[in-house]
Amino acid sequence: MSENLDISLDKLPIKRLDAIEENGLERFAPDVGYDQKKLDLIRRIDFAWAVEKDTKKKQKTAKEANAPWPWQSMVENLQLAHQELSVIIDMINTVEANDAVTVASMTRPKQLPTEVLSDISVAAATKLQCFRQLGKYLKQSAKTLEKQVAREARFYGALIRLQQNWKVKRQRLTVSAPSNEGFTIDLFDNSLSDSMSLFLPATSTVSVDHDSAGMLAVNLPPKSCRFLHFGFLGVDSGSTTKESVKHDISASDAKREAVKENVDECVKETHLVLRNVHRAIFDEQVFDLVNREGFTPSRGFNVTGIRDNYLELGVGQGASVYLSLLPSGEDADQTDDSADTQNLETAIVTSETTDSTKLVEETASSLKSLSRFPSPTSCEIYLQQIFHEHKFVREKDKRPNASKARVPVQPAGEGSDLLGHFCMTLAHRIFSNKVLEELENLATRVPYLHLLSHPTWSSRTSSWSLTMKVPQSIIRAGHQTRPSDVPSRKDGVRLEFQTKVVVNDDCIKLEGEGAPNVVGLFNGSTEKTCSMNSYECDLANLPVILLEQVASQVVRWLHEEALVVGINASRDFLCLSFELDQGDKLCLLAHVDPKDTLGCISWWLLMAGGLMEEGKLHSEIASGGSENMKFLGYLSLEALYSIMMDLVSLCNRGANN
Amino acid sequence: MNKGGVGLTSGGSGPTSAAAAAAAQKQKTLLQRVDTDITSIVENFNHLVNVARVSDPPVRNSQEAFMMEMRGARMVQAADSLLKLVSELKQTAIFSGLASLNERVEQQTAAFDQQAEKTEQMLSRIGEEAAGCLKELESHYYSSAQRIDQGEQ
Repeated sequence: MSENLDISLDKLPIKRLDAIEENGLERFAPDVGYDQKKLDLIRRIDFAWAVEKDTKKKQKTAKEANAPWPWQSMVENLQLAHQELSVIIDMINTVEANDAVTVASMTRPKQLPTEVLSDISVAAATKLQCFRQLGKYLKQSAKTLEKQVAREARFYGALIRLQQNWKVKRQRLTVSAPSNEGFTIDLFDNSLSDSMSLFLPATSTVSVDHDSAGMLAVNLPPKSCRFLHFGFLGVDSGSTTKESVKHDISASDAKREAVKENVDECVKETHLVLRNVHRAIFDEQVFDLVNREGFTPSRGFNVTGIRDNYLELGVGQGASVYLSLLPSGEDADQTDDSADTQNLETAIVTSETTDSTKLVEETASSLKSLSRFPSPTSCEIYLQQIFHEHKFVREKDKRPNASKARVPVQPAGEGSDLLGHFCMTLAHRIFSNKVLEELENLATRVPYLHLLSHPTWSSRTSSWSLTMKVPQSIIRAGHQTRPSDVPSRKDGVRLEFQTKVVVNDDCIKLEGEGAPNVVGLFNGSTEKTCSMNSYECDLANLPVILLEQVASQVVRWLHEEALVVGINASRDFLCLSFELDQGDKLCLLAHVDPKDTLGCISWWLLMAGGLMEEGKLHSEIASGGSENMKFLGYLSLEALYSIMMDLVSLCNRGANN
Repeated sequence: MNKGGVGLTSGGSGPTSAAAAAAAQKQKTLLQRVDTDITSIVENFNHLVNVARVSDPPVRNSQEAFMMEMRGARMVQAADSLLKLVSELKQTAIFSGLASLNERVEQQTAAFDQQAEKTEQMLSRIGEEAAGCLKELESHYYSSAQRIDQGEQ
């Protein structure tokens, strides 16, 4: 059915080659004349279809009768239109190709108004579509820009707030990306660095960036924050502090996840991180200073071990301490395997496994050891504090020269030897704990001794006093109704005796009245024992000397009381003797034994002739007494007083006889 | 370097003439940039509006569609540039407000000093209180029944 219209087109007549001779000469066809050309042109148009059409139409009508197809007419029409169009296009092509035919004029057929309108509407619709797309694009980019504005507002708001507390610096990373400007926060206090070349840790500058939400993002390399840890060797310590730090950081991590949106929280978080970094820097500086001072020999310590980020010091008193820098938090789990870290790790592990019995044991042992050693945490704080006070604050205060007198500075003159001071403080604390233990022992065993602490506000001095309150004498009780119980010596009546124990570094100083002055003892003169005197002693002799002191005070008190009653009694160190008739002496003798758990001071009654010798006395006491001696036991002051009164009456009777 | 130091508000305490000139220059550049960007936006918008006319030859219409896209992109670009300028201004404001910054630092210093003093006072107070408590406890203990009983035994 579909029959193509064949248009046979001749090739272009121009430059048509007719023949090529053997020698290569080309021979062209002879020029055709105008008439001939015209004829050719007309011949090109094949009018065969017109003839065929008529015949076809006849055939079609015959077929339509057979099978009427509803679209038949349309198909035909379209075909016809196609054919016509083809012809016309062909014509145009021919005309275009061949300049021999010239088209005089071609007028466009006038469009119908509906056609024009539809054209316009199509164009308008296209345009509208374009504008819609453009609008969409603009809207989208507006949204992006809006987001960017909000992000920047948030970021700069946060940055401003950060700037109020930290030193923010601007840093252009690369010229190629001007938008990607980084900000760094300088955490290093360079106001100090001119006077002392402080060690500059790697984390002294922290870079701050936007994150995707426009929040501040602080970039910290892991394990960059290392904190100072202090402890005594052989003592489980630091686990509590470490755990608290750990807890802190993990909590903050969790919080960070939760409140990422809130700007305030974000700023707070950043502050927290920065503060941690700041603290870590300070700790590193302190550690560095400690290391430096560790190399200069000092009185207070000797370095016993040194490793990477670890320093071990012997401080005397049989104690060694270590200082180490450890990364905090979750980083600590995979730290280097130095011994102390393992110690700490095991401490953590054991305390984390909530095995109750183990825990109890551990706390008990740690309590025991803690009573000897001061708390490591407080030591750590003290170390940081003195270094801060003397290396940081002092340096700053030098310039304005103001507010200097606000803190009484302890280690005056040896500001450079802070570590020595610190170690001596530690040694003193340990030593004074031992002294205190002895004193407490005495105070618990001797019932009339009161142990009072006197805070000295000095790290290397401790002071206590052993007070003995004596009962008021019966005779004086009548007219001695003083409203206040102030001990006074003006009226010759004493209400209490005091012995002061002052420990300075590692020397003990005793101060008291009626003390058995060693010098006085050897001189044989009893006069000196009456005055206030002070002397030094060591730890081993401390209890004996104190007991002697106390006993002598008791004897002295009894003597005074006896004198008040009017009896001639004489006193010699720990012995109060009353003269009986015939030159016999009745002696009240104190015996001190610091190892005696029952009472330490025991009393003997001794009947002695004038020829009693020292050596014999001692041997008799050692052998447990004889017919001349009677063991009275551990007496209270009241009992002693009544015994004394009995003796007085005995003497009186003897004298009367 | 001089960007941070020289602010737009060059009314600081006696900037040198060079710095003032630099600041003025900077201000001029910034203003120029603003002008350029805004002109660009307005111009492009004008073009967009002009192009809204449906023109006769259909070929031109598609050409204009391309042009519209281009104009729109230019507008967005100008806006972005303006935004960058704003953030630059913000940075300058942050890093050049030295007066307020110093004031703030001084405030902080004073606050911290005060806090340190307060802490010290508190510590000494705590120490004194502890000493007082210790004394009280000691006297309590030595006058307590337990201790007196022990003494009488």
